[in-house]
This record gives sequence, C-alpha cells and structure tokens, in this order.
Amino acid sequence: MFNEGLSLDQAPPISVPFRFFLTAPVFAIIIGALILTNDATLILNRYSDISIAIVHLFTLGILSMIIVGAMQQMMPVLAGAVIKKPILFANIVHTTLTLGTILFALYFIFHLKVLLMIATVLLAISFITFFIVAIRLLFKVKFLNSTVIAMRIFVIVGLITILLGLHLAGSHIADNIGENHYSIVSIHILFGMFGFASLIIMGVAFQVIPMFYVAKSFPKFIENKIPFIIVFLLAAYTMFEIASFDLTVIKVFFVFSIAGFAYFGIHSLNNRKRPIFDVTLLYWKLSLYMLIVALLIWLFAKDDVTYLLSILFGLGFLYSLLQGMIYKIIPFLCWFHLTSKGYFTVPTMRELIVEDMIRIQFYIYISSLLFFILAFFLSSIFLYIGAALFIFSNLFFLLNLILAVKKYTKIAESDPMDMSSFQMSS
Amino acid sequence: MSETISSFLTKDHRDCDEEFAVLENTVASENWTEVEKVFGKFTSDLQHHFDMEEKVMFPTFEERTGMSGGPTQMMRMEHQQMLQILSQMKDDVASKNKDHFFGLSETLMMLMQQHNMKEEQMLYRMADNHLGEDSGLVVTQMKDLERV
Repeated sequence: MFNEGLSLDQAPPISVPFRFFLTAPVFAIIIGALILTNDATLILNRYSDISIAIVHLFTLGILSMIIVGAMQQMMPVLAGAVIKKPILFANIVHTTLTLGTILFALYFIFHLKVLLMIATVLLAISFITFFIVAIRLLFKVKFLNSTVIAMRIFVIVGLITILLGLHLAGSHIADNIGENHYSIVSIHILFGMFGFASLIIMGVAFQVIPMFYVAKSFPKFIENKIPFIIVFLLAAYTMFEIASFDLTVIKVFFVFSIAGFAYFGIHSLNNRKRPIFDVTLLYWKLSLYMLIVALLIWLFAKDDVTYLLSILFGLGFLYSLLQGMIYKIIPFLCWFHLTSKGYFTVPTMRELIVEDMIRIQFYIYISSLLFFILAFFLSSIFLYIGAALFIFSNLFFLLNLILAVKKYTKIAESDPMDMSSFQMSS
Repeated sequence: MSETISSFLTKDHRDCDEEFAVLENTVASENWTEVEKVFGKFTSDLQHHFDMEEKVMFPTFEERTGMSGGPTQMMRMEHQQMLQILSQMKDDVASKNKDHFFGLSETLMMLMQQHNMKEEQMLYRMADNHLGEDSGLVVTQMKDLERV
C-alpha cells in the first residue's frame, strides 16, 4: 500500500485530462455566441434566464470541466491518490457533465421542464461520482501537506455547492420557489466561488508557485489557516444569510483572507528566482490582480455589480488562471507520455505549443475582458465587441491545444522502435 | 533533534532548483563561457543528489522495508529520464542553441518538480517513518558521500 501513487501506471492515460481541457473552450465559444445573439439588457441583468444559462455554461462547462479534469491528473502526483479505473471514471464524469450542462442551458432558453429534469439527473451523476471518489481517495492519503488539506476542504465544500444546486433545480422542477430560495441562491454562489473554485486554486498555487517559478513559499499562516478560515466564513455567511443579518463583517473577512492569498501570490511571483520570462506568468498575474479588484468592488460597491463581478472574478481571475495552467499541463503531458512510451525524438514543451501563439491568444483574451468591462460603464455596444473577441480568443486557445494534440498523436502513431536506433550516451 | 531524511533532501532539492535558475539566467544572458561553468555545477549538484539517494538512502530503505521493486525503482527511472534531458541540454549548450535549450529546460523543470513532489510528500516521509532513529545516521552517510 505504500507504493500506491508511486507506481508507473499512476498517471491516467492522456485522453483522460485532455477530453476535459478540450471541451472547456467549446463551452466558452457557445457563451460568446449567446452573448452576441441576445439583447444586451438581458445579459447585463443577473436574473434573466439567459444570464443564468450563461453563468452555468461557465461554472459547469468551463470551470468544473477543467477542475475535474485537472484533479484526475493531480491527485496521483500531489496526493498519491490513484483512481482505479481512470477511463471508465472519465467517461462517466465527462459525458454526464457535458450533456448535463448543455441541457441545463437549453432549459433556460426553451423552458421545457423535461430538459431541466434530465440535466439535473446527469449533473447529479457526474458530480456525485466525482466527489465521492475524490473524497474517498483524499481522505485515505497518509502524509498531509497544505495542498492535500486544501483539496480535502475543496471536495467537501464542492459537494455542498452541488447539493445546494440540486436543491435549487429541484425547486424549479416542482415550481416550489420558497421564501428562502434567494438566500439559498446566494449561499450556492458563495460556496461555488469562494469555496469550490478559490480553494482548489489556492491549494494548487501553494505548490505550483514556489516549485515551478522557484519562488518563495506562501507564509505558513496563509497556507495552513486561510482554507479553514474560508470554511468558517462560509458557515458564518450561511447563518447570517438565513437569519437576515448584516453581512458586511463577513464580507470584510472574506476580502482580507482571499486578497491576502492573492497579495502573497503576486509578491512571490514578482520575487521569483527564476526570472526567465515564461508566458504563463502573464495569466497568473492577470488572474491574481483581477481577483483583488473583484474583491474590492464586491466589498465597496453599492449598486448591483453582479455583471461586472462575473467578468472580473469568473473570466478575469478564474478562467485566466485555468488557461495558464492548461498551457503548461498539455505540452508537459504530451512530452511525458511520449517519453514514457519510449519515443526518443520528442519535441520540447515549447515546440509543442509555441510561446508566441500563447502570447497572441493572451492579448486577444485580455482585450475581450477590457471590452466586457467597458460595456458595464459605457455602452452595451462594447458587449458585442467583447463577445466577438472572446469567441476569437477561445478559438485560438482551442487551436493551440489541438495543434499540440496533433503533434502528439502523429508521433504516438509512429513506431517508437524506428527512432530508438539513435542511442544517446547518458 | 537531528536532521531527518525529509528535511535534508528537501533542502537539497531547493538548492538544486536555485542552481537551475542560475543556469537558465546565464543561458538567457548568452554568456556561453559562463554557461559552461554553471552547467557543470548544476550537473554535478544534480548527480550528487541522485547518488545520495541511489547509493545510500534507497538501498537502506529497500533493505528495511523489503520494497525493492516499488517506489525507489520508479524514482531511479525518473532520475534516468532527467539525466537524458540534461544530456540533450548539454548539446544545446555546445551548439549555443538558446531556444531549444529553453524548450528542454522547461520540460526538465516540470519533470523535476513532479518528481520532487512525489519524493517529498511520500517517499522521504515513508523513509523517516520506517527508519526511525536511524534516519539521522542515513543523513550523515549521505553527507559523507564523496562527490564524483
């Protein structure tokens, strides 16, 4: 049992994470298309059906899609937790998540209750399968560190988020919108954003920033205490929300804890010992700065800023960071799987995805964000420009990934023996 | 309390990382005479780290736990994988091919860090657990190991 997680076949087949990573930009393109074809006033209104559809296309189709895919890759490496039947697991989780997300969005467009019913069942299968397996594996891990602890909290809070979501879907199906429905909506959103999404990103950042950029670790207080403080705040928020108490104090604590994480992340990246410019740094920094701005607006804004927050937090903080991570993971996995199969002439990571292509995609992406933000302050015409650029940047993102996968498959289909005649002295 | 296998080798990982960062920076500056020197230093540090594990710590661990085909074998294979990239990097240093060098160094970095995570989070802690009091002794033996 000790060598669990240290055996050769611990990494799942490459098709496991890739299917999740390649699906996400497709959902992003769908989001862009929906924004382009709908009335701007509906998009800017958080309660419109199309907004709810778009938000869930993002949280389920992009955010959960990438996180669930990445977790299957990360658990074995970071936590020594191996999923026994990785392909079967990925088939179930990916198919139900993809179909469930599509049907869920279609319900808010066509208002056919049967769509929501099927979507709810599919999403329930997907998430419950994922979380039950992840919880079982992560709670068996023998040696703990801050990342494993953050992951454990993430799976528990994630499960609660999903259960709240299922409850909300159930009340829509039953046409039973109770008086505390909107409180549950708020709690569901907060658990999703600060619990599910932020916790996993923190957990990963604790490892990845110091290791991959040869930078200083986060202060022990941030690593060891902040995840627990977030759980405590989520619980307090829930009670305050149900009791209709004033939430200002809780919000202040949330902002301090999460902005503290962002501050130390930026600080560590700026003082890294590996100053070689790495294009994924652009995504990390954009992401952490956007997080701080989003938190401050959330705390201080008096009017309804939900649209603006969705852009800053969802696309600015979360999606930027996830794209940056995928740009590192995909070329590395291509290289890793080819080398492990015995191929000798394997392209380097920078040949699998060319840095300049990433850089161009980054600038298109950041300009789409800029126009989305302008749409809030100025004219809704910018919303459509933003959407067009968003579609374009995601097509570019998808293209970058597909090119890497094509290079991979081309080599993987050749015979490794052909190249092994180039023996290298080591 | 004496040094543990975990604390000693983890510290050595960090030292190797820093030496690696120095190497990358030197290549970026394209001062190729300096690169040769720094490359030699990094290679020797890395090899020394592998030797401390493969010649001292792993055999003791295998003897105590009876696990010889498991985690340590996996780690040895990963060491080989890293040395192979390193030898390709050496060719790039010789031919002053900066771009290709960075493609490889990126890969080596990912591989090293993934490897370090496994060792630091599992193997070293397992070793400290199994060896108990003797882990201090293993650290001393590793420190005494001569550089090749």
